[in-house]
Amino acid sequence: MAEVMKLPFWRVNVLTGLKGARVIEDPRECASLIRRAKRPLFVAGPRAIDHYFDNGKTSLEYVLEIARLVNMPTCATAHVKKRMLELGIKPDSVYDIIEIINHLKDPDWQGVRKEGNHDLIVFSGIRCELAELGLSTLKHFAPHLKTMALCRYSHPNADYAQPILSDEKWKGYFEEVVTNLQH
Amino acid sequence: MVVTLERDEVSELIRSEDMWEPIGPTPMPEIPDLRNWSMRLLKTYKPFYAPFCDLCCFCTYGKCDLTAGKKGACGIDIASQQARMVLIACCMGLSAHGAHARHLIDYLIERLGEDYKIDLGMQVNVEAPIARTVTGLKPETLGDLRKVVEYVERGLIHLVSSTHTGQEGSNLDFEVKNLHAGMLDLLVMEAADIAQIVGFGYPTSIADTPLVDIGWGSIDRTKAMVLCIGHNAASANAVIDYLRANDLEDEVEVCGICCTAHDVTRYSDKAKVIGPLSRQLFFLRCGIADVIVTDEQCVLTNVPEEARKTGAALIAASDKICYGLENATERETDEIVQEMVEEGKQFVIFDPEKAGEVAARVAIKIAPRRKKGFIDEAEAQELAKGCEKCKAYMCSQACPNLLPIQQGMQQAAEGSFDRLRSLFDQCFTCGKCEQECPRHLPVVKIMQSVATKETFKLRSGRGPIHDVEIRKVGSPIVLGTIPGIVAFVGCSNYPAAGDIAEMAEEFAKRKYIVCLSGCAAMVAAMKKDEEGKTIYEKYPPDFDAGCILNVGSCVANSHIAGAAIKVANIFATLPSRANYEVIADYILNRVGACGVAWGAYSQKAATIGTGFNRWGVPVVLGPHSSKYRRLYLSRKEEDDWTVMDGRTGQLVDTQEPTPEHLAYVIESKERAMVTIPKLCMRRNDTPQGRQIKLTHYISLYKRYMGTLPDDLHHVVRSTRDIPLVYKKEVMAYLKEVGWKEKPALSLPTLIGTYPSKVRPEAVIH
Ligand code: SF4
Ligand code: SF4
Ligand code: SF4
Repeated sequence: MAEVMKLPFWRVNVLTGLKGARVIEDPRECASLIRRAKRPLFVAGPRAIDHYFDNGKTSLEYVLEIARLVNMPTCATAHVKKRMLELGIKPDSVYDIIEIINHLKDPDWQGVRKEGNHDLIVFSGIRCELAELGLSTLKHFAPHLKTMALCRYSHPNADYAQPILSDEKWKGYFEEVVTNLQH
Repeated sequence: MVVTLERDEVSELIRSEDMWEPIGPTPMPEIPDLRNWSMRLLKTYKPFYAPFCDLCCFCTYGKCDLTAGKKGACGIDIASQQARMVLIACCMGLSAHGAHARHLIDYLIERLGEDYKIDLGMQVNVEAPIARTVTGLKPETLGDLRKVVEYVERGLIHLVSSTHTGQEGSNLDFEVKNLHAGMLDLLVMEAADIAQIVGFGYPTSIADTPLVDIGWGSIDRTKAMVLCIGHNAASANAVIDYLRANDLEDEVEVCGICCTAHDVTRYSDKAKVIGPLSRQLFFLRCGIADVIVTDEQCVLTNVPEEARKTGAALIAASDKICYGLENATERETDEIVQEMVEEGKQFVIFDPEKAGEVAARVAIKIAPRRKKGFIDEAEAQELAKGCEKCKAYMCSQACPNLLPIQQGMQQAAEGSFDRLRSLFDQCFTCGKCEQECPRHLPVVKIMQSVATKETFKLRSGRGPIHDVEIRKVGSPIVLGTIPGIVAFVGCSNYPAAGDIAEMAEEFAKRKYIVCLSGCAAMVAAMKKDEEGKTIYEKYPPDFDAGCILNVGSCVANSHIAGAAIKVANIFATLPSRANYEVIADYILNRVGACGVAWGAYSQKAATIGTGFNRWGVPVVLGPHSSKYRRLYLSRKEEDDWTVMDGRTGQLVDTQEPTPEHLAYVIESKERAMVTIPKLCMRRNDTPQGRQIKLTHYISLYKRYMGTLPDDLHHVVRSTRDIPLVYKKEVMAYLKEVGWKEKPALSLPTLIGTYPSKVRPEAVIH
């Protein structure tokens, strides 16, 4: 029987069904899932630009580093584009969160690189309630792809979710994913 | 079998012999009558579902798991189940407004008679544009408004019926019904607001309505206070009547929360607005209200318990909310007052006059003995020390906004309140944090110390847009030289309280017409500039470029749709009578209006938004509204943007996604700022109008996103559309992406692109 994640950090709006995320406790497994994807896409939300770790880095910078290491295209939602440009990175695509989910639903969509729809979508930095609903859309209507939530609050509607983590452990998780992808 | 009214019955109801306009194809339409129009909208703006729950538990066959393609025992799939849930929500919203209208109209007919004339003053001749267009009836009396409500009631029963197990099986047909519910909702809201304007003598035909006080600082706490909560101001107005009749107006403060507050200030400019519904629990806990009068909709369901905590008296004045209390409607007033004052009893009183009198008299009696007021920072600091900084962050886990309450408490315990202040701005005082906290720390009470005690100015609701205003702005709206009508509407479940004032001001500065209503109108008043002025003091109150106006309470939202209809009817002289499709088509293609329900929370808000969508007006929703489960979206690159050129009868692939979406959720204020101007673009914009719209789109996009918009090639039709200031860079961009001129057309219309009784020449004006 598949594992069902019962509660995310934000206990309101919890999963109310039978299919829930597999929690990826081990950052090495997270790195391996990302590496194995053929056409992954990273979708960045605005919380990723506001969240600073104690070393002064934002969560966006960690995820962009992950994207760079595996040549994963990026999608800047909300107003993330401006910050990415300030960091010297041109997003591969700019859609708002609802728009990109609407495209991903379509198996025939050609993806941001026009090479075919993506097979793994990595989300980070989207408001929890909105992300959870968007992940629900993909869970129900996009069986052709897998979703991963790199969010320290965890996401039951994703296929793969990080566990609930403290800030410090979240940073450590990111760093380990990066280290694993470097080798 | 679909028809509930025979043709001649309809004909009698709408007085078809009155030839004020020819009767169009759809008088008092039933669900099938506008099905094709709805399907045409849904072809371009496809429903997008975000299931909030994977299961269905409606009947004893269930629970059924509907995950990813599975079907329920009745055969329903997840998309249809979501659409069904939306229909249930829309029916809830429609019935709330419908019952509200029914109550007000019956009450006013009882007082004034069914032949009481509808007169909205010198400036408003087209008194009920929605009723005229939807039903074909030109309401002349309160009795006519009752006919409108009865038509809506008939429609509602069919809509609710189709949500039963084993009824509708198509998500698209559920959406048709959702759109129908939305249409009926705006119609019945219009009837409710017209009834209360004429029945209570609210201001009409003036734009410059009084500036009234808003904010808890505005209350004179030395006086007795009656607080009215809800949406039906009959009992609140009766409090005013009693005070006026007994020369007590200066002794009792009458205040309101939510839409009753708007409407009571339309009745008396001495009444005050406490604030939006998000501050309800917060304010109840302050205990400042001596008597609480609840009416209907969006009232906390535990008011009796909260009132007891602070020793406030309570009267429930609506059959919708009885709280299990004793019905004292038939009892002697003196006896009721005595029991409330001496024994602290709470009552239901259905008679507004009696409720008004009891409320005023009880307030005067109990006020002197009650201790009321906000806690200060020193007290808050002591209370905040009770936070044990638990590792589970139970408060944040329960908070719908995941607010870091622990940090706020920690700093408050150290005597620093800035963090708490910023949290209060994002908190809608649901009280869930307190409930989950192992120490039951009184978070909401502690917040009292950081709440602003200032008094702000709100322009009281003005009701319908004037015909003369429409004559003035009709042409520039349709040409696009007034870049749009932006309507900030709805409730207070927004990401941050200051967002709406900021957005409203930005678009007023850019010479959009900015309308507000409901809680959005209130919260927009609760922000001052460096000179201490609110947006209502800074911008003129007209329906014109660069102005900011408050139409009024939720039911007054109907006047915003009414204004769009009037542009078609008064400016373009299209007959509106029973002519829904032609008017909606005109609005969709020509009237650059965009609703912004940034804090929508209620089922009513879902219905209102859906109603605007059926008229062809797009609505932007804030992030929490993803929980409504359904949006209407296009995909600009992939979709077919073919319309008919009404003058030539030719189908034209415009390649132009305007408006791009009909119901759309946005995550951040910054993104909303760039999306609103885009959703104000229409196919009919002249090159000059499109230039102006693009100027705003480009400049806001540059500010918030750092570059030219990525989709300029979709919205620049010819080089004549390009704003001069950006000409060089836009041309370079268009060249880079291989842009080509798009076909021009003179009269864009969807009529003729789907099966309809409407003849294509009907759109020519
Ligand atoms: S209504 Fe249909 S899906 Fe819902 S519980 Fe009954 S059989 Fe199952
Ligand atoms: S009262 Fe405010 S802080 Fe507490 S849970 Fe509700 S929104 Fe969050
Ligand atoms: S749940 Fe209560 S004790 Fe725990 S951090 Fe929040 S306020 Fe403090």
